[in-house]
Amino acid sequence: MLPPAPSFGRVMSRSRLVERLADHRFVLLVALALFVAITVVYPLFQVGVRSFLVQGEWSLANYRAVFLQPRNLEAVWNSLWVSVIATLLATVIGTVAAFLVQRTDLPAKTLFRVLLVLPFAIPPLFSAMGWVQLAGPVGLFSQWWREVFGVASVPWTIYGPGGIIFVLAVTNYPFVFITVAGALQRIDPSLEEAARTSGVGTWRIMRDVTLPLVRPAIYGGALLAFVSSIDNFGIPAVLGLRAQFYVLTTRIYEALTIPNMPLATAMSVLLIGVAVIAMVGFRFAEGNRSQYAVIGGKSVTPNLIRLGRMRPLVTGALALVVLVVVVMPLFALVLTSFLRFWGADLTLANLTLRHYEAVLGAAGAQRGIRNSLFLAAAAATILMIVTVLISYLHMKAKVRGAGLLDTIGIIPFALPGSVIGVAMILAWSNPVVGPTLYGTIWILLIAYIMRYMAFGLQTTRATLAQIHDSLEEAAHTAGASKLRALKDITLPLLRPGMVAGWMLIFISAFNELTVSVLIWTSGSETIGVWIFLLQDSGFTGRASALAVLTLPVILILYLATQWLARLEERRVAGKGT
Amino acid sequence: MTAVVEVGHLTKRFNEVTAVDDVSFAVAEQEFFTLLGSSGCGKTTTLRCVAGLERADAGRIGIGGETVFDAAQGLDVGSERRAIGMVFQSYAVWPHMSVFDNIAYPLRIRRQPREAIRRRVDDVLAILDMAALGRRMPSQLSGGQQQRVALGRALAMNPKVLLLDEPLSNLDAKLRETMRAELKLIQKETGLPILYVTHDQTEALAMSDRIAVMANGVIHQLAPPDAIYRRPATRFVLDFVGAVNYLPCTLEAVLEDALVLRLAEGARLRVPKPPHVPTTSAHELAVRPEDIVLGPPGEGRPAATVTLKSFVGTGFDYRLRLGEVELRVQAPKTAAFAEGEHVGIAITEALLLDARQRGDAARVGP
Repeated sequence: MLPPAPSFGRVMSRSRLVERLADHRFVLLVALALFVAITVVYPLFQVGVRSFLVQGEWSLANYRAVFLQPRNLEAVWNSLWVSVIATLLATVIGTVAAFLVQRTDLPAKTLFRVLLVLPFAIPPLFSAMGWVQLAGPVGLFSQWWREVFGVASVPWTIYGPGGIIFVLAVTNYPFVFITVAGALQRIDPSLEEAARTSGVGTWRIMRDVTLPLVRPAIYGGALLAFVSSIDNFGIPAVLGLRAQFYVLTTRIYEALTIPNMPLATAMSVLLIGVAVIAMVGFRFAEGNRSQYAVIGGKSVTPNLIRLGRMRPLVTGALALVVLVVVVMPLFALVLTSFLRFWGADLTLANLTLRHYEAVLGAAGAQRGIRNSLFLAAAAATILMIVTVLISYLHMKAKVRGAGLLDTIGIIPFALPGSVIGVAMILAWSNPVVGPTLYGTIWILLIAYIMRYMAFGLQTTRATLAQIHDSLEEAAHTAGASKLRALKDITLPLLRPGMVAGWMLIFISAFNELTVSVLIWTSGSETIGVWIFLLQDSGFTGRASALAVLTLPVILILYLATQWLARLEERRVAGKGT
Repeated sequence: MTAVVEVGHLTKRFNEVTAVDDVSFAVAEQEFFTLLGSSGCGKTTTLRCVAGLERADAGRIGIGGETVFDAAQGLDVGSERRAIGMVFQSYAVWPHMSVFDNIAYPLRIRRQPREAIRRRVDDVLAILDMAALGRRMPSQLSGGQQQRVALGRALAMNPKVLLLDEPLSNLDAKLRETMRAELKLIQKETGLPILYVTHDQTEALAMSDRIAVMANGVIHQLAPPDAIYRRPATRFVLDFVGAVNYLPCTLEAVLEDALVLRLAEGARLRVPKPPHVPTTSAHELAVRPEDIVLGPPGEGRPAATVTLKSFVGTGFDYRLRLGEVELRVQAPKTAAFAEGEHVGIAITEALLLDARQRGDAARVGP
């Protein structure tokens, strides 16, 4: 006979608490919470509090200082309008390119796709340098223009807001391209077929059915492009400082070189404000149109628009855009790195390797390469381990509190890099507890960890979501302990996603400039900082040579991620049950 | 016969919802035992508690004579030490392991010698008729084959009981029937007791030795399939298992082996005496579609009109109109009537219900 059902009271809940304390998952959660507190919460708290402190007293004086100086207000305004126009341009380029590649019978689609996404992996600083070398006063285009039209000067200037907007647009359109192309790929073709059987023409379908369906993706991509524009330092620094045109990121850089820490802090908070207002604005513009649930998860073969007689014309136009926007700036960098001096005539006699010899011989540049490789690898490795644990506790073990860590870890993604830089200085130059990390390479490591935590969390969460709970449960019922099931089943299935996430963080950290330029010190230079300093001091040839040296690392990793993504796609597609 | 799985007073709550409410049953040796119910009735939660994947709030679970869970004593043996084999609805075949490795995994976990593992996996593959597919990866298999791998993995270490959670629901109709027969054959071969969860009543009736019909976390009836179908305990079981027609009527006479009823539209109907005749002022006759026989109208065989006729291979499916009531009738191929035709109905088996007792839990039997 079975005993009668017992009743439970408070005794049970108390023993549960004891049990929880002994539970290794709970210990792990506490350790992870500590990690997130040190790398994210404490620095953020510092920015928020310190901007309101003047010599230990609560005060709004720092903000008053920001608003009293017209230069600062101007920088806020400049950041806003430059980013808005650049985002609009990027959105048009990205959306049109996505439609052409996804929905027309354009030839060589894979090549176009790879090239169109490439600027995503190239540091914006490189683009800015490349464009100076193309369209600057003695740039390739400018020289050519003067010769063809026989004029003394070109009717444009790359320095100033126009140049900044243009280069921001051509570096940030991949955000829109990637999201819109993805959405176009997942649209249920029957929605378009329904319109077609109702007697609607192809272009009309695109306008009335397809475009409204991908509108949320367009808004989403535009938001990413906007955040990236507001965040950017390299482009307004190379193209704006010379023309005395300041945006918030370059003003913060200037305030820190003086240094005026309270002013930099107050402006960081303003920068957060600008970013938040913009995001709210986007959400508002988006309205509830994002409610469409018709875009399914499975990829399907869509109906392609036949370009017909327009095909050679459209192909040629897109090829030209790709050539000018993607290939030419890189080509200019390579060319400049081999030229005796910037602007020299293209003759064999003017070709030289001396810039390479100079940068490879300089101890600082060598350190920069070593530091960047180490920082990128360390940040990527630490972040993948930490975020996979947070995501696992959150998604699979369903430990309460892990969800909160996930949410906090995503926050820095929305923060402009300058804010993270200022936060790091505030938190680690004279910390309440612990060592002074400012002046060492470790502050950069923590900064990168804070900045890219969201990348790790998002990739691990997405990968774990695809691993059905029953896979691990099947291992338990087959006799495997929890730890063993984790090792034999979940980890092997997680590996492709983790490798992809690692590479994403590595590339981003390797290319990082906005934060690094604020917190580097002698001995902890990164390669981006070094290239920027060379460019800023007029060593264009050496800056280009160093940039060209990093390109193979970036390109190989970028192609590897593309290849991995395709492999993963095929694996998922092959599963089809 | 001794019980292989014993579940006593099992209760499981999710926040405020009681998913399993004081459920008790026992699975005997070599028995095919099914938990049947619609989604959310608590059947899967019960199975997951037995598997050790869910921790119940109250009650006791025994497997193979050993207590594996006892809320009163705080005892909860881990899933990996319960000696069970489980097949999941999603198959849960590990995509990064070959068929062989999937099936070998439970044996490797138990550190069996390499040669013994190879022999055992080969045996299992032979039972499953998959001998040639050992080196395939799951992505190269059809849904039915993945299903078999999941089954093979559960069989590999000779578990005390096989737990199956809607294993056939993701297969197409034809394959489902094949697998149904195969599953029964494999059980006969291995002699393993099976605890089976399904929402498909046809499946449950065809395969089970005994069925527990569940709704809202409670077992409504626990009986062999024919008793579930012919002698349902509650209105829920009557409705859920098989189709049924309801005819409002009044009781005119109780004879030795028959009842005389007057239907709502006035005609008189004679039916075989059901096991239970409730005393009430309002009766209702419950008849399965195959228990209505069609013929020429006559005394005691009221006339109904054919409104719809469809050929279903094994016979005809008719919709008839009898007064205010629409009737569903399954007739053999020989009983061909035209739409609009008047036919007489006779009833070969029926239940008499109390029309005032309408809830799911209302008793139908004695």
